[in-house]
Amino acid sequence: MHACAPHRLRHLTARLLAIALMTAAGACGGDSAGTSATSGLRDRLVFAAAADATTLDPHNTTDTESDQVIMMVYEGLLGFDDAMKIVPKLAERYAVAADGVTWTFHLRSGVRFHDGAPLDAAAVKANFDRVLDPVANHKRLSLFSMIERVEAVDPATVRIVTKYPFGAFEPTIAHVSAAIVSPTVAAAKGKAFGSAADAVSGTGPYRVASWKKDQEIVLARFDGYWAAKGATREIVYRPIPEAAARVLALESGDVDVISRIPATDIPRLEQRADIAVHKLPGVGAQQFRFNLAKKPFHDARVRQAISYAINRPAIVQNLVASFARPSTSALTSIMRGYTNLGEIPYDPDKARALLKAAGFPAGFKTRIATTPRYPMGVELAEAVAADLKKVGIDAAIEVYDWATMVQFWAGLPPEKNTQEIFIMGAGASTADADWGLRPIFRTAPTNENNYGYYSNAEFDRVIEAAMRETDAAKRQALYTRAQQIVYLEDPGAVWLFDTLYSVATRTAVDGVRPQALGVVTFERASVRGS
Amino acid sequence: MTPPPLARLALSALRRLVPVLAAISVLVFSIVHVIPGDPAVIAAGLEASPATVESIRRDLGLDQPLPVQYARFVTRALRGDFGTSVRTRAPVGQEILDRLPHTATLAAGGVLLALVIGMTVGTASALSSHVVVDRLLTAASLVAASTPSYWLALMLMLLFSVTLGWLPAIGAGTPAHYVLPCLALGLQSAGAVARMARAAIRDVLTQEFLRSARAKGVPEWRVLLAHGLRNALLPVVSLVGLRIGGLLAGTVLVESVFAVPGVGRMMADAVVARDFPVVQGGVLVVAAMVVVVNGVTDLVAAALDPRVRA
Repeated sequence: MHACAPHRLRHLTARLLAIALMTAAGACGGDSAGTSATSGLRDRLVFAAAADATTLDPHNTTDTESDQVIMMVYEGLLGFDDAMKIVPKLAERYAVAADGVTWTFHLRSGVRFHDGAPLDAAAVKANFDRVLDPVANHKRLSLFSMIERVEAVDPATVRIVTKYPFGAFEPTIAHVSAAIVSPTVAAAKGKAFGSAADAVSGTGPYRVASWKKDQEIVLARFDGYWAAKGATREIVYRPIPEAAARVLALESGDVDVISRIPATDIPRLEQRADIAVHKLPGVGAQQFRFNLAKKPFHDARVRQAISYAINRPAIVQNLVASFARPSTSALTSIMRGYTNLGEIPYDPDKARALLKAAGFPAGFKTRIATTPRYPMGVELAEAVAADLKKVGIDAAIEVYDWATMVQFWAGLPPEKNTQEIFIMGAGASTADADWGLRPIFRTAPTNENNYGYYSNAEFDRVIEAAMRETDAAKRQALYTRAQQIVYLEDPGAVWLFDTLYSVATRTAVDGVRPQALGVVTFERASVRGS
Repeated sequence: MTPPPLARLALSALRRLVPVLAAISVLVFSIVHVIPGDPAVIAAGLEASPATVESIRRDLGLDQPLPVQYARFVTRALRGDFGTSVRTRAPVGQEILDRLPHTATLAAGGVLLALVIGMTVGTASALSSHVVVDRLLTAASLVAASTPSYWLALMLMLLFSVTLGWLPAIGAGTPAHYVLPCLALGLQSAGAVARMARAAIRDVLTQEFLRSARAKGVPEWRVLLAHGLRNALLPVVSLVGLRIGGLLAGTVLVESVFAVPGVGRMMADAVVARDFPVVQGGVLVVAAMVVVVNGVTDLVAAALDPRVRA
């Protein structure tokens, strides 16, 4: 039969046959393994993280590398599924009263923390009291500022009352920093909670078995987990700060999974038969923002002109094709509240006309601040500057290290901020329009989060109304209007592209995908082989 | 009663430690406070409110005037307390202690490799009667001495881990993990040692005392080992003493590439995050190491050199 196949096809046929045989063998192996679920699977998976976790205290972290370990160890009342839908976790069910501010959570029964303590309403209340304690300096305090009080109604029921009806309450409670930690261990460890393996305790599918700083975190499957237990007994996080070394470690088989892959390595890894690259659009987007307190950026026409002057398709194609796709709004497509407003076209003539109308027929001089912390951060600034040059705007590039860059975004009053155009990576960690727009573009006296002093009266009104709107359809209509204002009519930024999160695995690894929040988790991960 | 000369040398080396560390503490303290970047802002993260940042700043004592901060840093450091890491809230002394063995292993391995490879190549090059061999070895040492350790590290990893699969690419724990990092760290110094050894041996070979030894009927291998090599070692030992600072600086890159959890990598991360207590503590400890190693090499040189010994 095979002899009849044309010569060129024979290879392909043989390869397909081999794959079919292997798949069949795999299936048989699975069957013959009988009741042992782990047969044919390895006991440990090794993940090369880009950095060690700074802390495993969920109430006190803002970095991805810590968050992705925390998500394996802790859970909140609510959580996100793969499609970023809200799902109940430690709360079995929940409801909001007619007043729009009283939320009642019914806790799942029989849930225990890794230290053996039971999860009850008192534990949940202790957690919210902990994160909201103004003296403790927990970094996530501002995220929960809408909470008025938390009550333990009975051991299985928690009531959370908000100061006003809050449209984004559920994603906020599903956020990683609303995770419930063991109050026993938290109280015993005080400020050291989350800083060592014995100072961590959650309810998640994995517990921290050991943590050697900068060397490895070993997570062990938690046998007392209330839901489906993990497929792999141990998950090892090995921080490799150097991106090139991370890629080599995957190629040599030292590690099974890597994230934060250098853009230039993605096409090569995609070619390899023993490595699989997975990509996913998430909450992340790359922008250049304007300092509206500086002239001429107070003029919407100037900002529109700059937006039209940038050849986004060329920039994406030439610099970031392996991890980007064009932006279509001020939010990314997976976020609640997103409206597709289309890509901003490349139109240098329109840009020149707008500049002329704004009183700059010959363009002007400006500066672009950037940081190599963002992938291709410097190259992107150079490309933007080259496009601006074509419409007469002469932009000098200033490169800062991260620590210096964030100085400009730390609650400075306008007169103290010298930046004009600056790079910014956006990514609302609740995957919701409220956190994605409100802190960033609502009028504020300093630039604590509204780094460019954006101010638009209609936007402020719409965003405030949307925040307090709990009706889904009305809420969506308000956010559509807000995006039209800040993306098209009175642009607060040049949206360059939405970021694709990528993860590369050995092909023996199953169940590992990037997630929309930019983290990688392993609760369903398995590695074939012995 | 005067102490024996070597003990005197050791004492003077120890005495040197105090002013050097004092000077370094002032220098490091000033530098971390002069460079832009606010540790409280970075620790708080981009989504934090100014109130949180201010509160963290108070917590860290960064709201105090600089002289007060310095005085507090010094009085605590004298008691062995280097403060708490801004990033991880763990005690800095413990963080350094956990990582020091890795860096010490790397540095010792690097020095050892530099000495063994460098002396072998240098001696072979100096004694070789073939001009071509000498030229090749000299060229090789020049290349080794000029290769940046960062690039070398990646190339070693590519060859020995990815292509050949002989050695682990990253991590720490088993001796095999340290082979490639030590090579990456030591090869540059090996090149320098080889060049120095070759010149020193060539120089010694022309000395009169060698001719006297030969005339006395001492066998040639003894002439070379006991008289030639021993004297040629002197400048090499001094060279290694001088290079130890550079070698420790190299651990910053090598530890990052090979993911070795050492002091160098910890300090690099700390600088990026403006984690002042960690930077200060780390630099002080590494500086102390350099001073101690320099003292030791002085002692070794003295033990080798009859003029110093006298």
